[in-house]
Amino acid sequence: MSSSLDKLLENPRVWRGRDQAAHKAGLASGYPELDRHLPGGGWPSESLTEILTTQYGIGELRLLMPALAVLSRETPVQQDFSEPGWIAWIAPPFQPYPPALQQCGMDLSRMLIVRPGNADEILWSAEQALSSGTCAAVLLWPEMLDDQGSRRLQLAAEKGRSWAIAFRPLTARREPSAAALRLELHSSAQGTCVHILKSRGGRPTVISKLL
Amino acid sequence: MKSRACKPPALARDATPTPPAVQQDLPFPQAEASSRAGARSYRRAPAAVPVERLWFCIWLPHLPLEANRSSEAATAIVEEQHGIHRILLADAEANAAGVMPGQAANAALALLPTLLLEERSLPGEQQALERLATWLERFSSFVCIADRDVLLLEIAGSLRLFGGLRELRQKISREIRELGFTGLFSIAPTPLAATWLARSGRRVCIRDETNLAPALRRLPLARLNWPAGLCEALTGMGVTTVGDCLRLPREGFTRRFGAEYLLELDRALGHLPDPRDSWRAPERFCADFEMTEEQSDRELLLNICRELLLSHEQFLLARQLGTQRVCFSFFHFKASATELRLGCARAERSAERWFDLLGIRFEQLILPEPVIAVRMRSGMAQPLQAETDSLSFQGKPGVQQRRFSITQLAERLIARIGDQSVQATSMVAEHRPHYAWRSQSLLADWSGTTLDAPAQYVRRPLWMLPEPALLPADSGYPVHQGCRLRLINGPERLETGWWDEDGISRDYYTAINADGRHFWVFRNRNRASPWYLHGYFG
Repeated sequence: MSSSLDKLLENPRVWRGRDQAAHKAGLASGYPELDRHLPGGGWPSESLTEILTTQYGIGELRLLMPALAVLSRETPVQQDFSEPGWIAWIAPPFQPYPPALQQCGMDLSRMLIVRPGNADEILWSAEQALSSGTCAAVLLWPEMLDDQGSRRLQLAAEKGRSWAIAFRPLTARREPSAAALRLELHSSAQGTCVHILKSRGGRPTVISKLL
Repeated sequence: MKSRACKPPALARDATPTPPAVQQDLPFPQAEASSRAGARSYRRAPAAVPVERLWFCIWLPHLPLEANRSSEAATAIVEEQHGIHRILLADAEANAAGVMPGQAANAALALLPTLLLEERSLPGEQQALERLATWLERFSSFVCIADRDVLLLEIAGSLRLFGGLRELRQKISREIRELGFTGLFSIAPTPLAATWLARSGRRVCIRDETNLAPALRRLPLARLNWPAGLCEALTGMGVTTVGDCLRLPREGFTRRFGAEYLLELDRALGHLPDPRDSWRAPERFCADFEMTEEQSDRELLLNICRELLLSHEQFLLARQLGTQRVCFSFFHFKASATELRLGCARAERSAERWFDLLGIRFEQLILPEPVIAVRMRSGMAQPLQAETDSLSFQGKPGVQQRRFSITQLAERLIARIGDQSVQATSMVAEHRPHYAWRSQSLLADWSGTTLDAPAQYVRRPLWMLPEPALLPADSGYPVHQGCRLRLINGPERLETGWWDEDGISRDYYTAINADGRHFWVFRNRNRASPWYLHGYFG
């Protein structure tokens, strides 16, 4: 029975969704349970990730920190003289606190904090940072992000081979988005659970008590 | 010696600038009264010119015309003399039609109705002269603007580089012609002699100092740029050439005409040193672009800015310099000028890169009125640091190259959203939470410093509030958004700062609300103090 199934699957005309993303390794998130549910076994770098949350302080940064720490410390292999990956923070709601970042293992000398004046500039700055190719990751807190905007960010991330992370309110859940991965964070007294809303090449799931 | 005793007044009057010259009534050294007082005579003076120098003089007789010419049509420069506009200089075409210097402007127009009359512009001439001087710096390290229409170069040091005197002279004369100027040249061992010889209109080249005096003797006094009254007086005495002048007794000449002119003759002959100020091209670039009418076409304005940036690049290229700041001013007819400033993280000269930054800012620039002129000024020039780039021998095709470096990215961001909004951060070894870090401008000379050993703190929040926020309290516990917080960790006591004004004494706690949000709260050490929220554990 299984052999006939295998034979069927060998047929090149059969398209399997899982395979597509599987050959592109993800960036280990530092949370094994999350990695298991993400295609490629980690964050989809070189694309846009959206994190939907209503409140700050429920672990939205802690979720990213292990991966960001790795990115900020690694040296790129191919370009011998160029600067290693920078982490850009665009329009953060509060001051990212350097001592805490250092505790998480981030290299502070490669942090760029940008505070643009309006929604247009936030998007423009993020696009510039993503497509520049010098930033390993760009975190942004857009005031608003429509379908077109998310597509622009996704394209810029692919072009600059950079990881874009957009933090958005829960109300954005109903809006379409070009992001490769969308997560929703809910906090409760027992811990924060992560709800994977959309994952290119993966399946939506709920991981409870991750943080 | 006798004469010295009997003429004290002359001594007193003229003693200041020329002690050796007035103290003796010797004739000029060329007259070779070599015996008396030889030791004190300034015939020793050639030692004042120990190094051989050779001066190349360029006289620009048509400078007023050539500096202000705006079209190819027959042009004449007019100057107001006693209320009447008179022709100062006319070009060949106008001359052929009979327009002569000194004519009234109306008479000239009657002769040639199509004649274009231009008012003389002294600032324009000066600018043209400075441009030429800057340009001439390629031939010599010593260029000097000797007069309103005379440039001097010291060329003794340049001869070998340019393949000899003949080659150098031909090169300069050819290139000056190509720049659109008419120049008369002469070469002499002293600057003044070179100037006089050039003004006499003869192409003279004197390398040897012994040939200088004979050449100068033949020079008519009218060429020396001496005051007309003086020349008239001398001509009245039958003294018409420099040679005649030199034959006069020195003392008598000084008494009648002042020591000044005697000294000038001495300098020309090389008996006295003649130090000159070298022209130094300005280290800052400033250029204007004036338009004939007001323009509001942004595309056109951008092109003008590009032109200015290109000449800026040439300016910096010649000096091996770069600059970090550039400022554009757009002038309007009525409104005050609109300014646009650009900054770079490191010294830069490439017009392309400045234009890139300009493009970002120009999009947002609001011009209240059409623009009549554009001025570009550059900041302090700095030695340029070349950027290290990889040779990339094994550049794999398909591997996307980095588009620009972090400094370029920062420049672009700063160009659009401002200097204060783009920052890097670093740690400071300090226990007070709000002093433990600082942000730095990326345009300053910043180097990302990290404290090597991560400080062993109790866990710190990832989000910090700019200022601690006051929290209401409920039976001794902090309340956030109507929900009482539970303290799960603490206290961590952080205190003192006696060395400055801002000492603290606080107990910090980690608090949690019903939803599981983590807060960093504190209260001051005296118990009655309210609670403050200082950060979130993001």
